[in-house]
Amino acid sequence: MSAQIIRAILLALLTACIALPVGVFVAQWAGWTVFCCGLALQMAFHFRNFARLDRWSKSPVVDSSLEGEGAWDGIFGRLYRHEKDLRQQIADRDAEIVRIIAAIQALNDGVVLLDLGNQIVFCNTMAETQLGIALRTDKGQPIVNLVRQPEFISYLGQEDFTRPLILRFDRKEDHVLSILVIPYAGNRRLMQVKDVTQTDRLDRMRRDFVANVSHELRTPLTVLSGFLETLQEIEVDPSTQEHYLALMTEQAKRMESIVQDLLTLSSIESAPPPTNDVVDMASLIDKLRRDAEALSAGRHTIVVESDGLGDVRGNEPELVSAFGNLVANAVRYTPTGGTVRIIWKASPSGAEFAVEDTGIGIDAKHIPRLTERFYRVDRGRSRDAGGTGLGLAIVKHSLNRHQAQLEVKSSLGKGSRFAALFPASRVTGL
Amino acid sequence: MNESQHLSSQFDEDLARLRTHVLQMGGLVETQVSSAIDAYSTGEVASVKTIVDTDRKVNELEKAIDDDCAHIIAKRQPTASDLRLVLGISKIVTDLERAGDEAKKIAKGVRRIYENGQMPSQYGVGIRHLAEAALAMIRQALDAFARLDTEQASTVIRADSEVDVEFKSIIRQLITHMMEDPRTITTSIDIITIARAIERIGDHAKNVSEQVIYVVEGRDIRHTKEVAK
Repeated sequence: MSAQIIRAILLALLTACIALPVGVFVAQWAGWTVFCCGLALQMAFHFRNFARLDRWSKSPVVDSSLEGEGAWDGIFGRLYRHEKDLRQQIADRDAEIVRIIAAIQALNDGVVLLDLGNQIVFCNTMAETQLGIALRTDKGQPIVNLVRQPEFISYLGQEDFTRPLILRFDRKEDHVLSILVIPYAGNRRLMQVKDVTQTDRLDRMRRDFVANVSHELRTPLTVLSGFLETLQEIEVDPSTQEHYLALMTEQAKRMESIVQDLLTLSSIESAPPPTNDVVDMASLIDKLRRDAEALSAGRHTIVVESDGLGDVRGNEPELVSAFGNLVANAVRYTPTGGTVRIIWKASPSGAEFAVEDTGIGIDAKHIPRLTERFYRVDRGRSRDAGGTGLGLAIVKHSLNRHQAQLEVKSSLGKGSRFAALFPASRVTGL
Repeated sequence: MNESQHLSSQFDEDLARLRTHVLQMGGLVETQVSSAIDAYSTGEVASVKTIVDTDRKVNELEKAIDDDCAHIIAKRQPTASDLRLVLGISKIVTDLERAGDEAKKIAKGVRRIYENGQMPSQYGVGIRHLAEAALAMIRQALDAFARLDTEQASTVIRADSEVDVEFKSIIRQLITHMMEDPRTITTSIDIITIARAIERIGDHAKNVSEQVIYVVEGRDIRHTKEVAK
């Protein structure tokens, strides 16, 4: 028997104890009246507390002013503590969920959570940018409705997710995504999206590099050995022989310049950081102009625009070869009558060396790959022009070593602009 | 669970599946168009075969979706927005299928040009730009359908006139070339076919967007100058 019932019986007995003498000494009806009033008072007291509990249970709030009276105190107290604990737990869980979501947002990979029908439950901002979806509008939408590439749909439809799907994503030009689905909690799926555009490009570059080196060296070698064979086997008259030898020398020079460029590249790559010697830009630009004029042989107008301010700190030979390459390219790829502009001027973030031409221009799709080794926009043409295919790779490397960036702007048929942007820390005398 | 709730959620599932099928078909068409553009720029004639093969799948999907639409109308007798969705879908698939056909036309035109010689480079930029605009339109139209986003749909409808203008300027340019040098006529005609097909893809994307507005708002804005507010 619980304490509450004992308490109720005791209270009833107490009322009876008061009512009994009244009944004996005053009148019987008076005794009954007192007894009934006593019980009614108790009833009223309980009912009041019951009503309060009823009201509270409809909208439970944590309110310390809510206290029960008498026997109800304990009940109210326990409910109050229970409610408070629950709320604390909910708040803790909420904070934990917020932290977990923040952790998912902080991930460098895209994450999308999918439910049974491949519907989007959650995704982080990285996934939003990678896949072109928005959690706010697309929650509950099957992901295949938005990422509609057939390869992706068939990947999601299969059962075996041990290997990631490498997807050439069509929404963003030339983006390669690696998508891995990880099943969890029964039928749910977590989709991990990695942007592997860079790795993909590096892989391709490495593959291409070996093939390109061998190809570039083999072409002149074939010519050389062809002539050698001819000279060994057939008697040729001295003038033809001279002609052959001239061609062979030319090819040998080609090979030499390729090897030279490769050596330059590797020495730039492995050399210690460039020194801080001040390079006199005025004389450097003058030299560039003379070289350009020599190469152009009067076919182009060479213009120098220099504000005469500032010199670069760095390694002079490296800068000469970088700038020289840019100028030589401009002259080579500009038809007769065009203009080549050599510009050196201060810019908001430092200084800028630029070469502008009115040449054939480069299609936008080639620009990101221009500085790759042996990358050629037009194979035949650039070799005729005498390039080794390594010029811009050397430019990019030497500029990087001087914390400068190579910026390329070009439009087909109108001309190109190659600019080296030097940070203020590399420029003196501004 | 009571009977009517069960039935209607089954119905919702049917509609959701139908939509996903339409978008799956749309995905195939998008791939067709983008590989047709790639074939144009790179001259990889091999991809022409894939485009033609994909077209077969698109056709099958079109038939299957139409069949599903008929089934839903017969079995469920949809009303209001559900009915508009089903009607809209049956029109959208027609447009998508035709856009796929146009992609096939582009691919075949590209093959013809490369078989007869080289792609003349002077049209490259203009055509590619036009094609990319049309591809973006079809992609946005499908996105608008997936999200039932009328704002995006109106953007697509407005973009169509830009594509039309660009198409006309390409045609003018081609006419000038043909007049200057009659030897280029064969190639020019092929390029006109390609440009025309691209322009038609833009039109189909516009039609899809108009259906999206019909599905969402119940307004039929075909053949009117009115573009969604």
